[in-house]
Amino acid sequence: MNSLWWWALPVLLLPILWHRQKREQTKAAPLATARFLPQSEPVQLRVWRFSDLLLLLLRCLLLIALIAFLADPVLPWRGDSVLVVPGADPAFIDKQVRDAGLPDARRIDLPGRDAYRWLHEHEREFNPEARLLLVGDVAMPAALPRLHHPVTVRPRAAAMPPSERHVAIYSQRAEEWRKLFAALDGPQRHVFDEQAGATTGLVVWDLPQSPPSGLRAPLWWVADTSAFPELRKAPQADGLHYLDSPRGRLWSAAWLPPRDADAARTMFASWQRLHLGLAPHTAPPQAPVVDARAPAGPSGGALREALATALLVLFALERIVTHVRRR
Amino acid sequence: MQASAALAAHTGKLDLAIRHVLAGLGHGIHAGRERGAGVEFSEYRAYAPGDEWRRVDWKLMARADRYYVREAERDSHVAVWLVLDATASMLEPSRSVEGLDKLGYARLLLGCVGAIAQRQGDAFGLLICQGERAHFTPAARGPRQLQRVLSQLDRFDAAGTLPSSEVLRASLHFARAPSVVCVASDFLEWPSPLSEAMLRLRGMRHDVRALCLQTEAEIAADFDASLAWCDPEGRAGGERKLFRFGREARAEYARRREEHFGMVAQQCRAHDIPYVAAPIERAPGEVLRAWLRTRGGRP
Repeated sequence: MNSLWWWALPVLLLPILWHRQKREQTKAAPLATARFLPQSEPVQLRVWRFSDLLLLLLRCLLLIALIAFLADPVLPWRGDSVLVVPGADPAFIDKQVRDAGLPDARRIDLPGRDAYRWLHEHEREFNPEARLLLVGDVAMPAALPRLHHPVTVRPRAAAMPPSERHVAIYSQRAEEWRKLFAALDGPQRHVFDEQAGATTGLVVWDLPQSPPSGLRAPLWWVADTSAFPELRKAPQADGLHYLDSPRGRLWSAAWLPPRDADAARTMFASWQRLHLGLAPHTAPPQAPVVDARAPAGPSGGALREALATALLVLFALERIVTHVRRR
Repeated sequence: MQASAALAAHTGKLDLAIRHVLAGLGHGIHAGRERGAGVEFSEYRAYAPGDEWRRVDWKLMARADRYYVREAERDSHVAVWLVLDATASMLEPSRSVEGLDKLGYARLLLGCVGAIAQRQGDAFGLLICQGERAHFTPAARGPRQLQRVLSQLDRFDAAGTLPSSEVLRASLHFARAPSVVCVASDFLEWPSPLSEAMLRLRGMRHDVRALCLQTEAEIAADFDASLAWCDPEGRAGGERKLFRFGREARAEYARRREEHFGMVAQQCRAHDIPYVAAPIERAPGEVLRAWLRTRGGRP
């Protein structure tokens, strides 16, 4: 869509035409027998000579910069590259680079696991003949991606780094809640805070009275809704009442507190799915489809800053030169 | 024909071009009163470059080991006057032959006339009309005079306008002896100081011959309509006037031009001045022959 702006380039003809000099034709060839001709008036001619060449140049550059800014061009400046998903093993990367025969390729550290999305957004920055190697714990896409470049994919699942989740439990049966959290397996470790603090991610409120006003957390599990009467009127989805309050997001549901194993599973699954987010699977070593007609990704805007600066400088120069000329 | 004119235009050396033109003409083009060199022996003179080899006295050379030329007794007092109009309008170039202009053509033909006069033993002089004064070379005989005249012809480029009538009248003191006056000009101005001088000379019973130089483009009125034109001599009045060739202007141009030269020819005829109008693209030999033809039609 942006590249349609290049069709505005004929606008450059306007300053060129404006700067064309209009002058009387005074250049005349000598002719000895001119005295036999009837005299004619001097003719106004537009000649291909330009007045204020500097100003014309500035105005043309200004328009070009403006159109380029709007068109947001992407220059293919990247060659053979190795795209490294964060957390990949360096020895594994080196081996894959050697196997793929790309020892001189430039390494690009991707911002996240969603490598295909990044590639789709930045694909126009690569030369048409660039070879790409994708290494690491690549997130599996929903559908096989279609890209302009052939990509060799060497995925390897990385072990999730151990992390902590801070949970504050306010309940008469705090010990049971703790057991419930301890039953969860996986790399996450649950830390139980006595009082909710800045690091607390979840507050379990299983008390009939209202919580103190300073207590805040991103998510509240309200096991006793008498503490939060407004939750009864809150919207619900799949039996889960949710409400965004100044304290944080409040949840209440039939499975809070869990009465059986299924309710506990539902509770933790909902927490993972709706609040923590799903960790995607590692993509299979499946090469994406190479399709020259695949839709180009959104523009990178890599030149936007430089063009904006150029635009500003040119505009200032144009104003200055115009002003100087008027004086 | 054009090749010959182009050759004349491109020969840098005037004497070479003259030799080329005269070689195509043969001898006896002008019926001089003197019958050539060596009819009646008068004196010996040291050889000068340009003298004919047949006039060198070989016996004397054997004796003295130097070249001497036999000079003849002359009883002729005919002088040939070459008059060149070197005003700015004479710069008008041929639009078909590159490098050829009216001034160069006039130079060549006047040089030819001078060479013929020199061959016949006539005295000849030169008058170049340009600017405020008439540049005058006194009449004399011989090959050195020819060289002098040729170098003088070469020295002047076309510029300015004609000298005033008074200046020209003051320059006519030469014309006491019977003389042939060959005037090469474009005669775009008529009457003019030059035309007055011609008529005055004719009135003094001199043989005045007018050569009016034109170009083929002028005759056909064939000029670029997209250009503006100006008169090279028309700037004296202050602002320069512009002229343009349109369809109507072309017809008007042809009409006025024809009228003007008709008037010039008619005046010349009235004063018994042989008048030859020639495009400069024509072969110089032909034009020369037509110019120097005597009144009876005999060359």
